[in-house]
Amino acid sequence: MTINLNKGQKIDLTKSNPSLKKAVIGLAWDTNKYSGGGDFDLDASAFLVGSNGKTNNDLDFIFYNNLEHSTGAVIHTGDNRTGDGDGDDEQIIIEFSKIPADIDKIAITVTIDDAIARSQNFGQISNAFVRVVNEETNEEILRYDLSEDFSVETALVFCEIYRNNGEWKFNATGSGFQGGLSALCKNYGLDA
Amino acid sequence: MGINLQKGQRINLTKDNPGLKKTMVGLGWDPVKQSPKGLFGGLFGSKQADIDCDASVLMLDENDKLRGKENMVYFGNLKSRCGSIQHMGDNLTGAGDGDDEQIMVDLSMIPQKIAKLIFVVNIYAAAQRKQHFGMIQNAYIRLVNISDNKEMLRFNLTEEYSGKTGLFVAEIYRNNGEWKFTAVGESDTSSGLGEMVKKYQ
Repeated sequence: MTINLNKGQKIDLTKSNPSLKKAVIGLAWDTNKYSGGGDFDLDASAFLVGSNGKTNNDLDFIFYNNLEHSTGAVIHTGDNRTGDGDGDDEQIIIEFSKIPADIDKIAITVTIDDAIARSQNFGQISNAFVRVVNEETNEEILRYDLSEDFSVETALVFCEIYRNNGEWKFNATGSGFQGGLSALCKNYGLDA
Repeated sequence: MGINLQKGQRINLTKDNPGLKKTMVGLGWDPVKQSPKGLFGGLFGSKQADIDCDASVLMLDENDKLRGKENMVYFGNLKSRCGSIQHMGDNLTGAGDGDDEQIMVDLSMIPQKIAKLIFVVNIYAAAQRKQHFGMIQNAYIRLVNISDNKEMLRFNLTEEYSGKTGLFVAEIYRNNGEWKFTAVGESDTSSGLGEMVKKYQ
Protein backbone atom coordinates (compact mmCIF):
# COMPACT_ATOMS: atom_id res chain seq x y z
CA MET A 1 0.00 0.00 0.00
CA THR A 2 1.56 3.26 -1.09
CA ILE A 3 1.46 6.25 1.17
CA ASN A 4 0.15 9.03 -1.02
CA LEU A 5 2.71 11.72 -0.56
CA ASN A 6 2.41 15.15 -2.02
CA LYS A 7 5.34 16.65 -3.82
CA GLY A 8 7.71 18.13 -1.29
CA GLN A 9 6.20 16.19 1.58
CA LYS A 10 8.62 14.74 4.11
CA ILE A 11 8.20 11.67 6.24
CA ASP A 12 10.24 9.73 8.76
CA LEU A 13 11.84 6.56 7.60
CA THR A 14 13.86 5.11 10.43
CA LYS A 15 12.18 6.90 13.33
CA SER A 16 8.80 5.32 12.69
CA ASN A 17 10.38 2.10 11.37
CA PRO A 18 13.28 1.44 13.76
CA SER A 19 13.98 -1.92 12.17
CA LEU A 20 14.20 -0.45 8.65
CA LYS A 21 17.57 -1.44 7.24
CA LYS A 22 17.24 -0.97 3.50
CA ALA A 23 15.18 1.02 1.06
CA VAL A 24 14.82 -0.20 -2.51
CA ILE A 25 14.26 2.31 -5.28
CA GLY A 26 12.61 0.60 -8.25
CA LEU A 27 12.36 2.00 -11.76
CA ALA A 28 10.20 0.28 -14.36
CA TRP A 29 8.89 0.97 -17.83
CA ASP A 30 7.62 -0.84 -20.92
CA THR A 31 9.47 -1.30 -24.17
CA ASN A 32 8.29 0.90 -27.04
CA LYS A 33 4.96 -0.48 -28.25
CA TYR A 34 5.30 1.13 -31.66
CA SER A 35 7.44 -1.00 -33.95
CA GLY A 36 9.95 1.26 -35.60
CA GLY A 37 10.01 3.52 -32.55
CA GLY A 38 13.33 3.81 -30.74
CA ASP A 39 14.23 2.16 -27.44
CA PHE A 40 13.49 4.04 -24.23
CA ASP A 41 16.57 3.92 -21.99
CA LEU A 42 15.72 5.20 -18.52
CA ASP A 43 18.50 5.51 -15.97
CA ALA A 44 18.20 5.61 -12.20
CA SER A 45 21.10 7.33 -10.43
CA ALA A 46 22.05 8.30 -6.89
CA PHE A 47 24.08 11.27 -5.66
CA LEU A 48 25.58 11.00 -2.16
CA VAL A 49 26.05 14.58 -0.99
CA GLY A 50 27.54 16.28 2.04
CA SER A 51 26.20 19.14 4.11
CA ASN A 52 26.98 21.56 1.26
CA GLY A 53 24.62 19.71 -1.06
CA LYS A 54 27.49 18.54 -3.27
CA THR A 55 29.24 15.24 -3.83
CA ASN A 56 32.73 14.97 -2.35
CA ASN A 57 34.10 13.08 -5.33
CA ASP A 58 33.12 11.15 -8.47
CA LEU A 59 32.71 7.92 -6.54
CA ASP A 60 29.74 9.35 -4.67
CA PHE A 61 27.77 9.31 -7.91
CA ILE A 62 26.21 5.88 -8.39
CA PHE A 63 25.01 5.24 -11.92
CA TYR A 64 25.26 2.76 -14.81
CA ASN A 65 29.05 3.13 -14.97
CA ASN A 66 29.63 3.05 -11.21
CA LEU A 67 27.28 0.50 -9.73
CA GLU A 68 28.52 0.08 -6.17
CA HIS A 69 29.52 2.65 -3.60
CA SER A 70 32.82 1.76 -1.90
CA THR A 71 31.01 1.38 1.41
CA GLY A 72 28.27 -0.81 -0.03
CA ALA A 73 25.73 1.75 1.21
CA VAL A 74 24.29 2.26 -2.25
CA ILE A 75 24.13 -0.47 -4.87
CA HIS A 76 22.72 -0.19 -8.41
CA THR A 77 21.55 -3.45 -9.94
CA GLY A 78 22.59 -2.55 -13.49
CA ASP A 79 21.62 -0.68 -16.64
CA ASN A 80 18.46 -1.74 -18.47
CA ARG A 81 18.48 -0.08 -21.89
CA THR A 82 15.01 -0.93 -23.20
CA GLY A 83 12.61 -1.64 -20.35
CA ASP A 84 12.46 -5.30 -21.27
CA GLY A 85 11.40 -7.63 -18.44
CA ASP A 86 8.74 -7.71 -15.76
CA GLY A 87 8.92 -5.92 -12.43
CA ASP A 88 11.54 -3.29 -11.67
CA ASP A 89 13.88 -2.76 -14.60
CA GLU A 90 16.51 -0.99 -12.50
CA GLN A 91 16.94 -0.85 -8.74
CA ILE A 92 19.02 1.16 -6.32
CA ILE A 93 19.37 -0.36 -2.88
CA ILE A 94 20.27 1.83 0.07
CA GLU A 95 21.52 0.30 3.30
CA PHE A 96 21.25 2.95 6.01
CA SER A 97 23.82 1.65 8.47
CA LYS A 98 26.54 1.77 5.85
CA ILE A 99 26.08 5.38 4.76
CA PRO A 100 29.26 7.31 5.66
CA ALA A 101 29.04 9.90 8.43
CA ASP A 102 29.89 12.80 6.14
CA ILE A 103 27.01 12.04 3.78
CA ASP A 104 23.95 14.08 4.67
CA LYS A 105 21.67 13.23 1.81
CA ILE A 106 21.17 10.80 -1.07
CA ALA A 107 19.32 12.22 -4.06
CA ILE A 108 17.73 9.73 -6.47
CA THR A 109 17.25 10.84 -10.06
CA VAL A 110 15.64 9.36 -13.18
CA THR A 111 16.79 10.44 -16.62
CA ILE A 112 16.06 9.39 -20.21
CA ASP A 113 19.32 8.63 -21.97
CA ASP A 114 19.86 10.64 -25.14
CA ALA A 115 16.39 12.18 -24.76
CA ILE A 116 17.01 15.17 -26.99
CA ALA A 117 18.54 13.29 -29.89
CA ARG A 118 15.79 10.69 -29.68
CA SER A 119 13.07 13.34 -29.15
CA GLN A 120 11.72 11.43 -26.18
CA ASN A 121 9.98 12.43 -22.97
CA PHE A 122 8.33 10.51 -20.13
CA GLY A 123 4.89 10.95 -21.70
CA GLN A 124 5.77 8.73 -24.63
CA ILE A 125 6.66 5.80 -22.42
CA SER A 126 4.08 3.30 -21.23
CA ASN A 127 3.82 2.20 -17.62
CA ALA A 128 6.87 4.16 -16.50
CA PHE A 129 7.03 4.57 -12.77
CA VAL A 130 9.52 4.98 -9.98
CA ARG A 131 8.91 3.84 -6.43
CA VAL A 132 10.60 3.32 -3.11
CA VAL A 133 9.93 0.23 -1.02
CA ASN A 134 10.72 -0.69 2.56
CA GLU A 135 12.85 -3.74 1.86
CA GLU A 136 11.79 -5.51 5.02
CA THR A 137 8.03 -5.18 4.84
CA ASN A 138 7.79 -4.78 1.08
CA GLU A 139 5.63 -1.77 1.77
CA GLU A 140 5.70 0.82 -1.01
CA ILE A 141 6.40 4.23 0.46
CA LEU A 142 6.00 6.36 -2.65
CA ARG A 143 5.33 5.89 -6.34
CA TYR A 144 5.30 8.38 -9.15
CA ASP A 145 3.69 7.60 -12.48
CA LEU A 146 6.27 9.14 -14.78
CA SER A 147 4.16 9.20 -17.95
CA GLU A 148 1.14 10.80 -16.29
CA ASP A 149 2.78 13.24 -13.89
CA PHE A 150 5.86 14.28 -15.84
CA SER A 151 4.79 13.85 -19.46
CA VAL A 152 6.92 16.54 -21.07
CA GLU A 153 9.94 16.03 -18.81
CA THR A 154 13.09 14.09 -19.57
CA ALA A 155 14.73 14.11 -16.15
CA LEU A 156 13.52 14.09 -12.58
CA VAL A 157 14.80 14.33 -9.03
CA PHE A 158 12.58 11.58 -7.62
CA CYS A 159 13.31 11.81 -3.91
CA GLU A 160 15.90 12.63 -1.31
CA ILE A 161 16.79 10.48 1.63
CA TYR A 162 18.38 12.74 4.25
CA ARG A 163 19.77 12.74 7.76
CA ASN A 164 17.89 14.57 10.47
CA ASN A 165 18.71 14.36 14.19
CA GLY A 166 20.29 10.97 13.87
CA GLU A 167 17.41 9.51 11.88
CA TRP A 168 16.80 9.14 8.14
CA LYS A 169 13.94 11.02 6.56
CA PHE A 170 12.42 11.00 3.11
CA ASN A 171 11.54 13.97 0.91
CA ALA A 172 9.14 13.30 -1.97
CA THR A 173 10.88 15.83 -4.19
CA GLY A 174 9.28 14.92 -7.52
CA SER A 175 10.78 17.81 -9.46
CA GLY A 176 11.41 17.80 -13.17
CA PHE A 177 14.87 18.84 -14.26
CA GLN A 178 16.09 20.33 -17.51
CA GLY A 179 19.28 19.24 -19.17
CA GLY A 180 19.48 15.55 -18.35
CA LEU A 181 22.06 13.67 -16.37
CA SER A 182 24.95 16.01 -17.13
CA ALA A 183 23.00 18.96 -15.75
CA LEU A 184 22.17 16.95 -12.64
CA CYS A 185 25.86 16.13 -12.20
CA LYS A 186 26.74 19.83 -12.35
CA ASN A 187 23.97 20.53 -9.86
CA TYR A 188 25.53 18.14 -7.39
CA GLY A 189 29.06 19.45 -7.87
CA LEU A 190 30.45 17.04 -10.47
CA ASP A 191 32.10 17.75 -13.80
CA ALA A 192 29.99 15.76 -16.24
CA MET B 1 -6.92 29.19 -29.00
CA GLY B 2 -6.13 26.43 -26.51
CA ILE B 3 -2.93 24.66 -25.61
CA ASN B 4 -0.48 23.54 -28.26
CA LEU B 5 0.72 20.09 -27.30
CA GLN B 6 4.03 18.43 -27.97
CA LYS B 7 4.49 14.76 -28.65
CA GLY B 8 4.12 12.69 -25.48
CA GLN B 9 2.35 15.47 -23.59
CA ARG B 10 -0.64 14.47 -21.49
CA ILE B 11 -3.21 16.86 -20.20
CA ASN B 12 -6.23 16.50 -18.00
CA LEU B 13 -9.40 17.46 -19.88
CA THR B 14 -11.96 17.37 -17.11
CA LYS B 15 -10.01 18.54 -14.06
CA ASP B 16 -10.57 22.22 -14.88
CA ASN B 17 -13.71 21.49 -16.91
CA PRO B 18 -15.70 19.11 -14.75
CA GLY B 19 -18.80 19.51 -16.87
CA LEU B 20 -17.05 18.67 -20.14
CA LYS B 21 -19.33 16.41 -22.16
CA LYS B 22 -19.78 17.04 -25.89
CA THR B 23 -16.56 17.56 -27.78
CA MET B 24 -15.51 17.66 -31.39
CA VAL B 25 -12.26 16.08 -32.45
CA GLY B 26 -11.08 17.60 -35.71
CA LEU B 27 -8.28 16.21 -37.84
CA GLY B 28 -6.68 17.97 -40.78
CA TRP B 29 -3.85 17.55 -43.22
CA ASP B 30 -2.62 18.94 -46.52
CA PRO B 31 -1.13 17.09 -49.45
CA VAL B 32 2.49 17.92 -50.16
CA LYS B 33 2.69 19.29 -53.65
CA GLN B 34 4.68 16.84 -55.72
CA SER B 35 6.93 18.32 -58.38
CA PRO B 36 6.24 16.95 -61.86
CA LYS B 37 8.58 14.14 -62.76
CA GLY B 38 10.62 13.86 -65.88
CA LEU B 39 10.36 15.53 -69.27
CA PHE B 40 6.84 14.41 -70.02
CA GLY B 41 5.74 15.09 -66.48
CA GLY B 42 6.89 18.65 -66.95
CA LEU B 43 5.38 19.02 -70.42
CA PHE B 44 1.99 17.54 -69.71
CA GLY B 45 1.87 18.08 -65.95
CA SER B 46 1.42 14.98 -63.84
CA LYS B 47 -1.92 14.84 -62.11
CA GLN B 48 -1.19 14.26 -58.45
CA ALA B 49 -3.29 11.38 -57.20
CA ASP B 50 -5.55 12.35 -54.33
CA ILE B 51 -4.51 11.00 -50.96
CA ASP B 52 -7.47 9.57 -49.09
CA CYS B 53 -6.65 9.73 -45.38
CA ASP B 54 -9.17 8.09 -43.08
CA ALA B 55 -9.53 8.98 -39.43
CA SER B 56 -10.92 6.29 -37.15
CA VAL B 57 -11.52 5.77 -33.46
CA LEU B 58 -10.78 2.55 -31.62
CA MET B 59 -12.68 2.12 -28.34
CA LEU B 60 -10.55 -0.02 -26.05
CA ASP B 61 -11.20 -1.63 -22.70
CA GLU B 62 -8.96 -1.26 -19.64
CA ASN B 63 -6.62 -3.92 -21.00
CA ASP B 64 -6.07 -1.95 -24.20
CA LYS B 65 -8.15 -4.49 -26.11
CA LEU B 66 -10.64 -3.87 -28.87
CA ARG B 67 -13.58 -6.13 -28.16
CA GLY B 68 -15.62 -6.43 -31.28
CA LYS B 69 -15.91 -4.48 -34.50
CA GLU B 70 -18.74 -2.40 -33.04
CA ASN B 71 -16.05 -0.62 -31.02
CA MET B 72 -14.45 0.74 -34.16
CA VAL B 73 -15.80 3.99 -35.56
CA TYR B 74 -14.63 4.61 -39.12
CA PHE B 75 -15.98 5.38 -42.59
CA GLY B 76 -17.78 2.01 -42.63
CA ASN B 77 -19.33 2.43 -39.18
CA LEU B 78 -19.96 6.10 -38.54
CA LYS B 79 -21.69 5.89 -35.18
CA SER B 80 -20.80 3.84 -32.13
CA ARG B 81 -23.55 1.62 -30.78
CA CYS B 82 -23.62 3.54 -27.51
CA GLY B 83 -24.04 6.75 -29.49
CA SER B 84 -21.11 8.44 -27.77
CA ILE B 85 -19.02 8.74 -30.92
CA GLN B 86 -20.25 10.03 -34.27
CA HIS B 87 -17.92 10.28 -37.26
CA MET B 88 -19.07 13.08 -39.54
CA GLY B 89 -18.05 11.40 -42.78
CA ASP B 90 -15.26 10.59 -45.13
CA ASN B 91 -13.26 13.28 -46.92
CA LEU B 92 -11.85 11.60 -50.00
CA THR B 93 -9.30 14.14 -51.14
CA GLY B 94 -8.16 16.28 -48.26
CA ALA B 95 -9.26 19.37 -50.16
CA GLY B 96 -10.37 22.42 -48.26
CA ASP B 97 -9.07 24.34 -45.29
CA GLY B 98 -9.73 23.47 -41.70
CA ASP B 99 -10.69 20.05 -40.46
CA ASP B 100 -10.73 17.32 -43.05
CA GLU B 101 -12.61 14.92 -40.84
CA GLN B 102 -14.53 15.55 -37.67
CA ILE B 103 -15.59 13.15 -34.97
CA MET B 104 -18.07 14.09 -32.28
CA VAL B 105 -17.26 12.57 -28.90
CA ASP B 106 -19.68 12.81 -25.98
CA LEU B 107 -17.54 11.93 -22.99
CA SER B 108 -20.53 11.51 -20.71
CA MET B 109 -21.97 8.74 -22.87
CA ILE B 110 -18.90 6.56 -23.21
CA PRO B 111 -19.66 3.18 -21.60
CA GLN B 112 -17.87 2.51 -18.33
CA LYS B 113 -16.08 -0.52 -19.75
CA ILE B 114 -14.40 1.63 -22.40
CA ALA B 115 -11.20 3.03 -20.91
CA LYS B 116 -9.48 4.56 -23.91
CA LEU B 117 -10.21 6.04 -27.33
CA ILE B 118 -7.40 5.87 -29.84
CA PHE B 119 -7.52 8.21 -32.82
CA VAL B 120 -5.72 6.78 -35.83
CA VAL B 121 -5.31 7.84 -39.43
CA ASN B 122 -4.38 5.62 -42.30
CA ILE B 123 -4.06 6.14 -46.03
CA TYR B 124 -6.72 4.25 -47.94
CA ALA B 125 -5.23 1.81 -50.48
CA ALA B 126 -1.76 3.10 -49.62
CA ALA B 127 0.07 0.15 -51.17
CA GLN B 128 -1.87 0.13 -54.43
CA ARG B 129 -1.58 3.88 -54.82
CA LYS B 130 2.04 3.88 -53.63
CA GLN B 131 1.29 6.57 -51.06
CA HIS B 132 2.67 7.27 -47.59
CA PHE B 133 2.58 9.99 -44.95
CA GLY B 134 5.66 11.67 -46.36
CA MET B 135 3.22 13.01 -48.96
CA ILE B 136 1.15 14.72 -46.24
CA GLN B 137 2.03 17.83 -44.26
CA ASN B 138 0.52 20.08 -41.63
CA ALA B 139 -1.32 17.18 -40.02
CA TYR B 140 -2.99 18.08 -36.75
CA ILE B 141 -5.64 17.01 -34.29
CA ARG B 142 -7.67 19.43 -32.19
CA LEU B 143 -10.33 19.19 -29.52
CA VAL B 144 -13.19 21.63 -29.28
CA ASN B 145 -15.56 21.98 -26.34
CA ILE B 146 -18.99 22.09 -27.99
CA SER B 147 -20.63 23.91 -25.10
CA ASP B 148 -18.65 27.07 -25.76
CA ASN B 149 -17.13 26.27 -29.15
CA LYS B 150 -13.65 26.91 -27.76
CA GLU B 151 -10.68 24.97 -29.02
CA MET B 152 -9.14 23.36 -25.94
CA LEU B 153 -6.02 21.92 -27.46
CA ARG B 154 -4.20 21.24 -30.69
CA PHE B 155 -1.41 18.84 -31.53
CA ASN B 156 0.52 19.56 -34.71
CA LEU B 157 2.25 16.49 -36.06
CA THR B 158 5.51 17.95 -37.30
CA GLU B 159 7.59 14.81 -37.47
CA GLU B 160 8.75 13.31 -40.72
CA TYR B 161 6.52 10.30 -41.38
CA SER B 162 8.00 9.39 -44.71
CA GLY B 163 7.34 5.79 -45.73
CA LYS B 164 4.72 5.32 -43.02
CA THR B 165 1.11 4.48 -43.77
CA GLY B 166 -0.49 4.27 -40.34
CA LEU B 167 -0.59 7.10 -37.81
CA PHE B 168 -1.51 6.82 -34.12
CA VAL B 169 -2.44 10.43 -33.52
CA ALA B 170 -3.81 10.75 -30.01
CA GLU B 171 -5.58 9.04 -27.14
CA ILE B 172 -8.39 10.14 -24.86
CA TYR B 173 -8.42 7.94 -21.76
CA ARG B 174 -9.77 7.53 -18.25
CA ASN B 175 -7.38 8.25 -15.39
CA ASN B 176 -8.46 8.45 -11.75
CA GLY B 177 -12.00 9.44 -12.63
CA GLU B 178 -10.90 12.12 -15.12
CA TRP B 179 -10.55 12.18 -18.89
CA LYS B 180 -7.06 12.86 -20.17
CA PHE B 181 -5.61 13.47 -23.62
CA THR B 182 -2.23 12.24 -24.88
CA ALA B 183 -0.53 13.62 -27.96
CA VAL B 184 0.89 10.40 -29.38
CA GLY B 185 2.08 11.09 -32.94
CA GLU B 186 3.56 7.63 -33.60
CA SER B 187 3.46 5.81 -36.92
CA ASP B 188 3.92 2.44 -38.54
CA THR B 189 3.71 0.76 -41.90
CA SER B 190 0.34 -0.93 -41.44
CA SER B 191 -1.28 -1.63 -44.77
CA GLY B 192 -4.65 -0.43 -43.52
CA LEU B 193 -6.99 -0.09 -40.57
CA GLY B 194 -7.40 -3.86 -40.34
CA GLU B 195 -3.71 -4.29 -39.73
CA MET B 196 -3.49 -1.36 -37.29
CA VAL B 197 -6.14 -2.84 -35.03
CA LYS B 198 -4.28 -6.13 -34.72
CA LYS B 199 -2.18 -4.50 -31.98
CA TYR B 200 -5.30 -4.36 -29.84
CA GLN B 201 -6.71 -7.82 -30.37
